[in-house]
Amino acid sequence: MDFLGDGLRRAFGLLGSANAEVYGIALLTIKVGCVATILACAAGIPVGFTLATKRFWGRRAALTVVNTALAFPTVVVGLLLYGLLSRRGPLGGLQWLYTWQAIVLGDVILAFPVAAALSAAAVQGVDPRVRRTAETLGAGPWRAAWTVAREARFALAAVITAAFGQTVAEVGAAMIVGGNIRGATRTLTTAVALYTAQGDFGLALALGIVLLIVALLVNVALQVLQGRGHV
Amino acid sequence: MFELRGVRHSYEGRTVLELDSFALAPGMLTAVVGPNGSGKSTLLRLLALLERPTVGAILRDGVVVSDARRRPATRERRRVTLVEQRPVLLRGTVRDNIAYGLRARGRGARVAARTAEAAAERLGCAGLLDRRRHELSEGEVQRVAIARALAIEPDVLLLDEPTSAADRAAAQTLYRTLAEERTRRPLAICLASHQLEDAYRWSDDLRALADGRLSPVTPENLFRVDLPPAGADGMTHAPVGALAIAVTTERTGPAILAVPPTDIFVSRAPLASSARNVFSGTVTRVVRHRPGTVHVTADFGVELVATVTEDAARELGLAPGALVTFAFKASAVQVF
Repeated sequence: MDFLGDGLRRAFGLLGSANAEVYGIALLTIKVGCVATILACAAGIPVGFTLATKRFWGRRAALTVVNTALAFPTVVVGLLLYGLLSRRGPLGGLQWLYTWQAIVLGDVILAFPVAAALSAAAVQGVDPRVRRTAETLGAGPWRAAWTVAREARFALAAVITAAFGQTVAEVGAAMIVGGNIRGATRTLTTAVALYTAQGDFGLALALGIVLLIVALLVNVALQVLQGRGHV
Repeated sequence: MFELRGVRHSYEGRTVLELDSFALAPGMLTAVVGPNGSGKSTLLRLLALLERPTVGAILRDGVVVSDARRRPATRERRRVTLVEQRPVLLRGTVRDNIAYGLRARGRGARVAARTAEAAAERLGCAGLLDRRRHELSEGEVQRVAIARALAIEPDVLLLDEPTSAADRAAAQTLYRTLAEERTRRPLAICLASHQLEDAYRWSDDLRALADGRLSPVTPENLFRVDLPPAGADGMTHAPVGALAIAVTTERTGPAILAVPPTDIFVSRAPLASSARNVFSGTVTRVVRHRPGTVHVTADFGVELVATVTEDAARELGLAPGALVTFAFKASAVQVF
């Protein structure tokens, strides 16, 4: 157990000394996480809303696909994306392979089903009378949707938290399409994997703790926002 | 004029409403009465353009605004509004709620707030304007929901059991407010109610629904029954709550029984007669119906209503608590 204690001491030492590499990796992780979460939620929440409120042919199949996509193996997504972004791939022209944008793309693919499936469940949980009331009072489709979303705000905040958690905790796709390049595409999770493999347990643990702190701060921020809402 | 024409509405293949024609005229208050599950709420949701009929069409002034294929335009939906039996208030204060429909129509915040206050005043809920939904009783929520509906000044106001959570005084205030509203403008109102007395007192037109169809008889004494086969005496004894009502019919299985109130003989004690149905119970209500007649409601384990003249009611001393006997022939009971 000594190595664990040594690792923790090293971790707090690195955090206390404002290690530039640790903070650089943390900032990149937050940037990638925020951009990917915004994109995944911007696409996923409307899809979830549609799946929850509209009746159309193929709706059940679409829900099944979205729910199945929750279990996408991250390395498989990374592998497919690698094929698409490599020079000979159809998206090779973007020259995104081994850039932070590639990691964002992988994270969006992984977080989209989370946003869609959980927001569908969140909206389905809203009393159907809310939408009927909005419509019978003359609300158009957008205002009615917004009214329903306001009723589901706590659950939708949890959707955003879960999507952010997915993006910052993901390692497989980030490793494959990001390349784990120091100072460029090294995120907290890929760095933890690398330093653990190299036997630098203290640094790996320090980065792990930073990852937990990031997740904690995001959750606290959302809790504060939710707390301001009135019934 | 709002109208359903040739409408049949089904949920998962089960037909719940079938109406050849049902119209609401401007300035008229139409009451729809009927037992639970008779299709009242479905009818109101169709009229509110919240659902599209499976078959048939909904028309305004002769023009189709919704049918199985056509989604009603928002501007058509804005002409009509529904207050559900158990309405929900949206997030925000009572003021926000009442102003919601006005804001949806693009009115400014100040104008909407002023109109909301006026509507709340009319419904006696001005003191609730700054409260939120969790601070209101069920009856207050119902009043606020009606104020919210009136604030948008719809052409058609649909009310589903609007007084189910109201005490007597609040119910009378509501009906008076609706009457005042109708003197101000040609508002068409359609309300679904269990309260026959209120329906008779306040409505211009009374319709009875039974099993999704307009009933050919008056709405009192309508019962959904499961008819057993006829007995050895050739008579069918339909179980209605604690009563077994003798009926002459060859039908068996699910059916609606109607006992016309005018076919019931009322006496203070059982009389020797040919009537196969004789029940003794206690008078619960005596309500003036039309000039010269009263509705006598008595409890026999099941409530039955009889129509008698005011003179007869006076002579028999019919008042709440009095013992009474109702008698009617098996052949007077209608089965459909």
